[in-house]
Amino acid sequence: MDVGRHPKITLYAYSEVEKVEGQLGSFKVTIRKRARFVEESKCTGCGACADKCPTVISDDYNMGFADRKAIYRYFSQGIPSTYTIDTKVCRQFQEGKKCGICAKICQAKAINYEQTDQIIEIEVGAIITAVGYDLFDAFRIPEYGYGRIPNVITAMELERFLSASGPTHGHLYRPSDLKLKSEFAELEKKQQKLTKALERHEKKHGISSDEFFSKHQSGEMTGDEFADWAKQVKEFKDFAAEFEVKKHQVDSIGHASRLAFLQCVGSRDIRFNPHCSSFCCMHAIKEAIIAKEHDPHAHLYIFGMDIRAVGKGFEEYRNRGAKNVGINYIRTRVAEITQSKDKSPVIWYEDTLDRQVKSIEVDLVILATACEASQGSDKLANLLGIERDPSGFYRTTDDEPLDTSRPGIFTCGCAQGPKDIPESVAQASSAAARAAQVLLRQC
Amino acid sequence: MSRDVLVIGGGIAGIQASLDLAEMGFKTFMVERLPSIGGKMSQLDKTFPTNDCAL
Repeated sequence: MDVGRHPKITLYAYSEVEKVEGQLGSFKVTIRKRARFVEESKCTGCGACADKCPTVISDDYNMGFADRKAIYRYFSQGIPSTYTIDTKVCRQFQEGKKCGICAKICQAKAINYEQTDQIIEIEVGAIITAVGYDLFDAFRIPEYGYGRIPNVITAMELERFLSASGPTHGHLYRPSDLKLKSEFAELEKKQQKLTKALERHEKKHGISSDEFFSKHQSGEMTGDEFADWAKQVKEFKDFAAEFEVKKHQVDSIGHASRLAFLQCVGSRDIRFNPHCSSFCCMHAIKEAIIAKEHDPHAHLYIFGMDIRAVGKGFEEYRNRGAKNVGINYIRTRVAEITQSKDKSPVIWYEDTLDRQVKSIEVDLVILATACEASQGSDKLANLLGIERDPSGFYRTTDDEPLDTSRPGIFTCGCAQGPKDIPESVAQASSAAARAAQVLLRQC
Repeated sequence: MSRDVLVIGGGIAGIQASLDLAEMGFKTFMVERLPSIGGKMSQLDKTFPTNDCAL
């Protein structure tokens, strides 16, 4: 991306706007550049610090399905490539603990625990606010079971699963199976430990543990020196049964191939957001097509009130999804999701075309969560002195679709309202042109 | 009077607006809350309608 190296662009990442004064042509803006505790000018982005960092936490970028360290890069191709210390979890910053490993390991001497926030003041003629959106929290619809039923995920979580650089390297497994796999990995470690302990005894006494155990039970080799060994053999035998059951379960894990996409989760729902989030229909079709590329045997269902394929080439894309990929579009609003014995989600719905209540069992449910005004966009609206519409997005008018309620401040992208990527890009170019036009007229 | 522009947000919209302004010759400042720019789009695997890589 060119933003990082364009001579006309100054990038303040990990920063927030604190104060805005003045008017069109001369806004005085105060920016707080938060301390990363890593010197931007020195960090080479090699990642040696993160390799050695002892603190492991769940990674937001991968929607919590992967781990990251306390010193981290938001994502691997991120710009700027400087690492950042998450002080909330870092041992060095938590009271009473001394760590300092990253500072020791860093060859560029870029770690600086004493770094402080920087206050930057700039003067600008115009401001464009493009703060984007947040996704609806699916916990708010308990009947869909998100968070309770492990194999109900969101569309953004599926993106990370489908990504070759994601937590499963592009392989699609049910989250419950991933959990099973990680539990089994722990059991394997325990098995190795137990086996090693037995081997030590076998080496010392020159007979196998099985032989020893049968002798032990028939009254031989019963002295104190054998008590430990006997205990360990017993533990191993008990453990082996549990291990075999889990192993069988893990061996039978296959890719998730029955996928159900649920549309309008939190949008077009008067309980939450009356607005349409606009991009989710096409997003679901896209994800279904990609899933089919990963697994040609996948069964795909899209449950929605209607498919809003409004845009050039969109309807054709929808039809291609049905014809070439085999997506089943089901007209309904899903009532509830339950869980079968093997942790497969079961979808309960009324098929509004033949007026029947039906249910279907699938491997994975993908919720198309709504596009909502981003967290903090209200605070920014107050700072900038601009109005918001009832959904929380920045208000514009039909006559001036890029102008906020304050002259000299413009908006574009999902900060203005839900829209897809091509529309965001087009509106961003328009906002840039609008800002240029106003500035050239002013000064 | 200043002809510089501040763009708040480093997602796809903010990036596009900044690049356009910079190409037109306006000095542009971009402020992003997270450690890296890219926004939600950087999290997407591939994008509609061409199914090309998002990054």
